[in-house]
Amino acid sequence: MKAADVHQRTSEAFSAYVEGDLPPEERARMDEHLASCTQCRVSLERFRRTVGRLGALKRRAPGDFLAGVQAQINRRSRGRFFGKRHMLFGRIPFEWLSLAMIIAMLVYYIVVLQTSPTGVVPAK
Amino acid sequence: MPRTTQAGLSAAPERKLLARRRQRRPEYHMSLGERLLLGRLVRRDEDAFNEIVRAYSDRVYNLVLRLVGSHAEAEDIAQEVFVTVFKSIETYRGEAKLSTWILRIAANHSKNRIKYLSRRRTTGQELRDGSDATEMADEGKAPAQAHFASPEVMFEAAETERIMQKAIAQLDEEQRLLVVLRDVEELSYDEIVEITGLPEGTVKSRLHRSRMALKDLLEGKLK
Repeated sequence: MKAADVHQRTSEAFSAYVEGDLPPEERARMDEHLASCTQCRVSLERFRRTVGRLGALKRRAPGDFLAGVQAQINRRSRGRFFGKRHMLFGRIPFEWLSLAMIIAMLVYYIVVLQTSPTGVVPAK
Repeated sequence: MPRTTQAGLSAAPERKLLARRRQRRPEYHMSLGERLLLGRLVRRDEDAFNEIVRAYSDRVYNLVLRLVGSHAEAEDIAQEVFVTVFKSIETYRGEAKLSTWILRIAANHSKNRIKYLSRRRTTGQELRDGSDATEMADEGKAPAQAHFASPEVMFEAAETERIMQKAIAQLDEEQRLLVVLRDVEELSYDEIVEITGLPEGTVKSRLHRSRMALKDLLEGKLK
């Protein structure tokens, strides 16, 4: 096989080699070639560095991203979703409302009894 | 030109291929937690949706950013992705991971936007020559891993990112997608097959060509 063909075949297997996808005998053949071929070794090193650098390309979404999505959905649903909430832990506090209603009814009951038009007040 | 569905897969032949491959692939089973979350999403539970956006916004944003090369476009497209998720959650059948389904929507939205922008721009150079990559570096923001490093390291990281982004922008649309899915987002081949609808062998061979093209494009440009 011509040297150029060997280089070509080696470079075609770079991905499989780097990802450990090559069968053992092919890997051994490639290791043997790499040990004696500076051109392929340098090329493989550049290949590895390129792939490695891609993994570092990470950016986070902007801080107000969620608010932006919510605003979009709110606009498109004509306010049906993600509208303004009556806030207490992010929702209407039904349990607190119920408790307040019970206390208010009790107070009302006591006040009405105290000021009854019949003048009958509970015995002390 | 192949017709595209909402999910963006090419019409009949590729759908058949995908269906055939799915028959051979092990079926994905959702966990109980995922099923409960999905139920809440289908009921349009806003808190469940917020959880999904918080969990996947960084991955979606980064994927889109690498594909389109512009922060402004990336933010707009990524928001659109989550609006689609909110609207179309019933179409998610649980055949793949939810993250894969969301990233497929992101990839398709990005492809559509790239096509739209390249049609609209008469010069057509902004995406191709990576001039938006310059804009990215001008913002003075280095990639995430360099945030606590010295100014020199941050500058170098930003410069490397600009050069890398410019090279990525020179790849064709499919090459870009494969490289970003595998080497930037670090997805498995199974996930890439689900997202692209290509057979695994094709993904591997095209990905290898894309990496080699990128290596050649970066020749002598990075330390």
